[in-house]
Amino acid sequence: MLWKDKYELGVPLIDVQHMELFQRVEVFMKVLRSSASWDEKVEKVNETLEFMNAYVVEHFRDEEAYQEKISYPGREEHKKIHTDMVNYVLAVTEEYESSGYDEQLMQKFAGKLMAWLINHVAAEDQRIAAYAISKGVAKND
Amino acid sequence: MTDLYGPFLEATRNVFKLMLELNDVSDHPADSFSCDDELDVSIGFIGDLKGEVIYRLPHETSLGIVNIMSGMEFDAVDEFVTSAVSEIANIISGNVLTMLAGEDLTCDILPPVLRKPDESGEYTFHNACCVTTSIGDVCLDIRLNQAE
Repeated sequence: MLWKDKYELGVPLIDVQHMELFQRVEVFMKVLRSSASWDEKVEKVNETLEFMNAYVVEHFRDEEAYQEKISYPGREEHKKIHTDMVNYVLAVTEEYESSGYDEQLMQKFAGKLMAWLINHVAAEDQRIAAYAISKGVAKND
Repeated sequence: MTDLYGPFLEATRNVFKLMLELNDVSDHPADSFSCDDELDVSIGFIGDLKGEVIYRLPHETSLGIVNIMSGMEFDAVDEFVTSAVSEIANIISGNVLTMLAGEDLTCDILPPVLRKPDESGEYTFHNACCVTTSIGDVCLDIRLNQAE
């Protein structure tokens, strides 16, 4: 399982979305890594990719709104990390579509996404949680 | 010159612990590192330090890293594995940047590239070490010059 309990931050709003995001990435990876031929799975991969990309944007937006609400001091820097990732996702999606759905490109994308997401949640987002808990606002959704 | 070996080792330990739950990480001289098939990920450094750091991973280590992260079984170093491991090298190097900033060294890193070290370059700081974990070794080959 991609999600690990240690990733939980203690901020209910963010934790629920993180679990959902990890679940979506896991489904995406499982479809992508299944033993079926590319022709058989490309449609499912594309559907999952579309859902997941939309959810990444939604989650980042909600997380940034939460940081604003609790006046998290590192919110501008964190927003830049989100923006860079969204731009990467958009660029890969565009390249993938214009390539006629190249499988290797998608495998490469999924590998980076998995490692990026784990580090982002386990390291960067922990700082938001530490701040929220220190200010006694962690339960303020 | 500032100690560069320490930050790379510390960042590798931190990332392996945080992302892979590998707590038993030790370092050894680079000559203890040997393997037949390896993945070489180069991260370029620019700014106050110029050069590159090559993360050399035996296939066994790369597969172990991705198996732990994904909770899935991978048995070949393919595009997915290469990309995930390259991102780990990127994350470790990013952590090093933060540590170097504390030493008043302002640097940036370039996107990961798969390649062997540039043997034609001359470096003021050229050091390598072998990091040993329960899933295999990683060799850190550090080749950097301090900007004038």
